[in-house]
Amino acid sequence: MAEQKLGNPAVVGLAGFGLTTMVLQFHNVGWMGLGPVVWLGLIFGGLAQMIAGLQEMKTGNNFGYCAFTAYGCFWIALALLLIGNHYDLYVSSKTDIGWFLVAWTAFTAILWIGALRINGALGLTFTLLLIGFILLDLAHFGWPQLTVVAGYELMATAAMAWYIMAHLIFADVYGRDVLPVGKPFIGGSSAPAQAATTLSGAH
Amino acid sequence: MNGMIKTFAAIGVLLGAGFFHGPVMAADAATADEAVAKVQAAARYLQGKGASGYADFNNASGRWVWKDSYVFVFDCRQDRMVAHPMRPDLVGRPIMQITDNAGKYIFKELCKVGASPGGWVEYAWQKPGAGALSRKITYTLAADVSFASGIHVGAGIYDDKITMAELAKVVEKITDPTKYPAH
Repeated sequence: MAEQKLGNPAVVGLAGFGLTTMVLQFHNVGWMGLGPVVWLGLIFGGLAQMIAGLQEMKTGNNFGYCAFTAYGCFWIALALLLIGNHYDLYVSSKTDIGWFLVAWTAFTAILWIGALRINGALGLTFTLLLIGFILLDLAHFGWPQLTVVAGYELMATAAMAWYIMAHLIFADVYGRDVLPVGKPFIGGSSAPAQAATTLSGAH
Repeated sequence: MNGMIKTFAAIGVLLGAGFFHGPVMAADAATADEAVAKVQAAARYLQGKGASGYADFNNASGRWVWKDSYVFVFDCRQDRMVAHPMRPDLVGRPIMQITDNAGKYIFKELCKVGASPGGWVEYAWQKPGAGALSRKITYTLAADVSFASGIHVGAGIYDDKITMAELAKVVEKITDPTKYPAH
């Protein structure tokens, strides 16, 4: 009996991560308000990415399981922080948000080390994401002008996430690797866990 | 006799206008010290309250309106009036294109001087309840509000004589009281 083909949850996770990150940066550089950030953050960056993350469990991919579920929660928490600040529910000051971002920076640094071992595109995405978080940390602790720098830098991060999403989808529909993701920045003799490579579509 | 009464009445009106009405009006005018203190308090208030604090500044009978002045909140980044107790028609609207009758771009100037410790901008604006335009000098300061980076608060005084140097001194005195020990 032929095994039923399964989709890769990473395509949805990367789509939600990329799009919501992109829209938040449209706000950070001053092009638009916060309305779309709140609702997309709840449903696409939040709910959809979190479900994709939970689905990664069955693929055996611990990196995707952790990253998508966690960043899905990041978006839901961020949207709720915005809503809370609007309705006077546990209002967070600028430095409160700064510490929230510092924690996510530390978490991202751990995943970044993992990403460097998976493939080039993912290594670059997480390098950009980590730099973006550090810039946002600084923006909340005395250098507010860095918000705009972080905005453009994180647009590149979002575009990289979409590149990996496109790599997975195009490889599927064209039957060949249209957009290669490249070798990992950290190579080595031991082969990466088969699970981790599912993010690169190698399964 | 009739003429004398008229004369007394005229003198009475003049006296009333000059010596009684005048000082009463002056007592009702907000001072530069008050404007600076209110704006700095408003910036601190928004720092703690975040976006949920904006609505208070739309209340024409609230704590941010006093004598003939009031605090208003605007966003230099998003180009919009965030809250204004006297002009609800301006709230949510773009501000950068607003000029006074001398052609001065009021909010472009206000946004330039808002960095700590804040600054003053002079322009012509309608005093609450008055028909004509008055010389208004507004003190403005940027407020550190989460999820926003261009929020400024401002409050002005209506004064035809006070100089910009005197106003700068008021800010210095309130911001750094150690330079002005109490005698």
